[in-house]
Amino acid sequence: MSDWEVVIGLEVHTQLNTKTKLFSAAPNHFGDEPNTNISITDTGQPGSLPVLNKSAVFKAVQLGLAIEAEVAEFSKFDRKSYFYPDSPRNFQITQLEHPIIKGGKITAEIDGQLKTFEIDRAHLEDDAGMLKHFSSFAGVDYNRAGVPLIEIVSTPCISSPKEATAYVKALKAILEYINVSDCDMEKGSLRMDANISVRKVGEKRLRNKTEIKNMNSFYFLELALESEIERQIALYEKHPDEDPDNVIIPGTYRYDTETKKTVMMRMKERAEDYRYFPEPDLIPIVLTKEYIESVRETLPELPQQRLQRYVSELGLSEYAASVLIVDKMTSDYFEEALTICSNAKSLCNWITVEFPGRLKEAGHTLYSIGIPAKHVANLVAMIDDKKITGRIAKEVADDMVKNPGTDPIEIVKNNSNYQPLSSTSEIEPLVEKVLSDNPQSIEDYKMGKKKAFAFLVGQVMKQTKGKASPEVVNELIHKRLDSK
Amino acid sequence: MELYKLTASEIKELFLQDKLSAEEITKYFLNRIEKSDEKLKAFLKIFPEKALKSAKALDKKKKENQQLGKLAAIPVAIKDNMHIKDEITTCGSKFLTNYKAPFSATAVKLLEQEDAIFIGKTNLDEFAMGSSNEHSAFHPSHNPWDLACTPGGSSGGSASAVAARLTPIATGSDTGGSIRQPAAFCGIVGFKPTYGRISRYGLVAFGSSFDQIGPITASVKDAGLAMEVMGKHCPCDSTSLNFPQETYTENLPETLKGKKIGVPWHFLEQLSDGAKENFLASIETIKSLGAEIIDIDLDILKYSIAVYYILATAEASTNLARFDGIRYGVRSPDAQDLEELYDISRDQGFGEEVKKRILLGTFVLSAGYQEAFYKQAQKVRTLIIRAYESAFETCDAVCMPTAPTTTFKLNTIQDPVKMYLQDIFTISSNLAGLPSISIPSGFDSDNKPYGLQLIGPQMHDVFVIQYAHAFEMATKFNRIVPPQFDKEF
Repeated sequence: MSDWEVVIGLEVHTQLNTKTKLFSAAPNHFGDEPNTNISITDTGQPGSLPVLNKSAVFKAVQLGLAIEAEVAEFSKFDRKSYFYPDSPRNFQITQLEHPIIKGGKITAEIDGQLKTFEIDRAHLEDDAGMLKHFSSFAGVDYNRAGVPLIEIVSTPCISSPKEATAYVKALKAILEYINVSDCDMEKGSLRMDANISVRKVGEKRLRNKTEIKNMNSFYFLELALESEIERQIALYEKHPDEDPDNVIIPGTYRYDTETKKTVMMRMKERAEDYRYFPEPDLIPIVLTKEYIESVRETLPELPQQRLQRYVSELGLSEYAASVLIVDKMTSDYFEEALTICSNAKSLCNWITVEFPGRLKEAGHTLYSIGIPAKHVANLVAMIDDKKITGRIAKEVADDMVKNPGTDPIEIVKNNSNYQPLSSTSEIEPLVEKVLSDNPQSIEDYKMGKKKAFAFLVGQVMKQTKGKASPEVVNELIHKRLDSK
Repeated sequence: MELYKLTASEIKELFLQDKLSAEEITKYFLNRIEKSDEKLKAFLKIFPEKALKSAKALDKKKKENQQLGKLAAIPVAIKDNMHIKDEITTCGSKFLTNYKAPFSATAVKLLEQEDAIFIGKTNLDEFAMGSSNEHSAFHPSHNPWDLACTPGGSSGGSASAVAARLTPIATGSDTGGSIRQPAAFCGIVGFKPTYGRISRYGLVAFGSSFDQIGPITASVKDAGLAMEVMGKHCPCDSTSLNFPQETYTENLPETLKGKKIGVPWHFLEQLSDGAKENFLASIETIKSLGAEIIDIDLDILKYSIAVYYILATAEASTNLARFDGIRYGVRSPDAQDLEELYDISRDQGFGEEVKKRILLGTFVLSAGYQEAFYKQAQKVRTLIIRAYESAFETCDAVCMPTAPTTTFKLNTIQDPVKMYLQDIFTISSNLAGLPSISIPSGFDSDNKPYGLQLIGPQMHDVFVIQYAHAFEMATKFNRIVPPQFDKEF
């Protein structure tokens, strides 16, 4: 495996969250009764004409600026012809020759390292409707037809399935931060096509690639890529003397989730001729520099900017910061908690490690289960204020997950077991008892064995059921032993 | 009263002066249609009840002293590739015999707002593809000057109806000459405005970058009147010009003093004797009106037919892709699966000429051929635009015949290329988006009309109407009604 190198390029289709469709005033809304969000344009009525939605252009420009791309001052639309019932005009309106966004880059974290991926282009196009199959017939729902899509095409700069998911996650973060898409993969707002080839390490030329279409989860993206890479390598190794061009046949594949294998849909030779040509019903999109600058001013803090701030101002590690920023909701949650409690490192740990660990099995997140950021902040503040110990905090956290919405301050107040033993008068008798029960350890300590001291502290903590502050216990034992 | 001899503007005056009611006017023209359309077959649908209802409503409106529209009481026929909401739009195709329009075209709406009375829908070559009306899926229309002859196409029904004075105004659409050539063949006025001047919203597309709606009338002033109504910016059409409406009908000049009219003499060398003689006579008239005739070079127009039949069919092949039997129109009951549904529905729904053009358009866009055909043709289109631009540096308008011949007998031209040559003088205006008008310029020895074409720079629609009006005032050929229809019915 190690002498093979993987080359992946991704095409990510994202639905823009505009109020109306790309070329009509029909609502852009998911989940409604079939064929209710449609207009004469979305159903391709003769005599209907497309009119470009300016808000889709605005959002595309926001994306272009967020990925540091060139936003084209001149771009235009093309017709892409193919016959299918979900395509109301039997051509899609897309941008082939002059896309609205050229170039750009996306930085993602992979195994603790930051890698920057190059974008080739991004363009606007309209989504198709959806076919629905019934027992004796098929129907078409045109609610999705005309929903604005932006297709973001990477260069072939991705070198593993892991990088592929990291890249898409980082892109998704940007789309969410600038609020151009809800990126809801279950609703199909973000869909991925991958182009994959492998070659021997050191080879300059790219070998034949295959395309896997229409993946809508990170899990399947990784599985599909892994299975396709394995398939290609196995074929090359089975035919080491064959011309590589004859081993992997270029074509379009889909990932079969049952067999966990990629299945060929059609060969490249039989691929459709889309007969692209300029869309005569639309005028070119001409953007002034002033317009583009005015859009730049609307950009919020972007994921990578946030990451830099977390590292330089909050002192988080790059890794911790990258885990926080990659999901906008998590990062926003963290930001909210930060307004109440300033211990960023501890908050980050509770938000990205402790709570997700407790919620993972139920498939929940902090916000989906309804634990407000304020509660996590309160929990961390109680630890910092030495009102509870770390050990009790973990139990309180368990309770917070069991009863989402209950403030940890209340949880602690109402459970005597969580009340800290802070007064030395309560702890001193326990220290006395432990010391008189363990004379040997006292001997050992005096001989210079540090472990003996830790043992004694542990024994006292055990007696307090973890409610005492270890520092107080330390102090008390020291006082007793060192004074003798 | 010989109402049929009057222009729309004159009829409107009678109505405004209380000399005739809208109902009387409408009944009069409905009667003419009823008596004559059997011979002409200009209409695909007549709206007697609807028209009378609107006429009565208009009479009431007038009685109540409400403000009346610019086209008050004027019957207007609509070419059957423009939508009138809730009426069938066939486009002259079997495919759409059951297609009820879900909305009205912007042009139709504007006419309605100005109190025009829709009297019916007129015949056309299927999807406006043709120069003789023979490609209507239903029947060809006939020329009022000679019923054995074609009224031209594709707006043949509209031209035939206006020439026989079955309606004072009809709409046409012009992709390569479809308003002007039929107007010439029928001895009336046809105006194709600057591309984008009239909204294409609700016009069933043929070649989107060429299509333009325009009026077909019995006088230039009437064409101007219709332009004042239809020539308006429309937010539903992205290619609609964002210009204010213009005034066409006031201060129409009767001379061409100080104007320079360009004639591409070299390009016109091939004209047949009769056509040449008629054209030279028109040039003399133009000179006598005070204009200076300038020789201009438009030799590049010899490529216009080839360029047009590549670009317009390319656009048409995709515009017509939506007719697949899935959402509307004819769906073949013989189809067993999706592939067959497409194949059989389109095979049964489309006529020969339409199929031919879809095939041609698909071919010129195909991988491996696009560079040689589509892209090359785009370049030549640009050269044609530039040739006109440089011509207009030296002249105010270009003058050419509208068509190389007068009307011909139905079913006599079999060679498609010969048929396509009908449009040799009209196509370049569509390639360059220029305002162009065809006006009657006399008759051949068989008493069949000739048309003269005036072409202006983009956005010079008003000027083109003005020059044409001066020519019309000097000649008055438009006042001659085809003998068979020059009477009361």
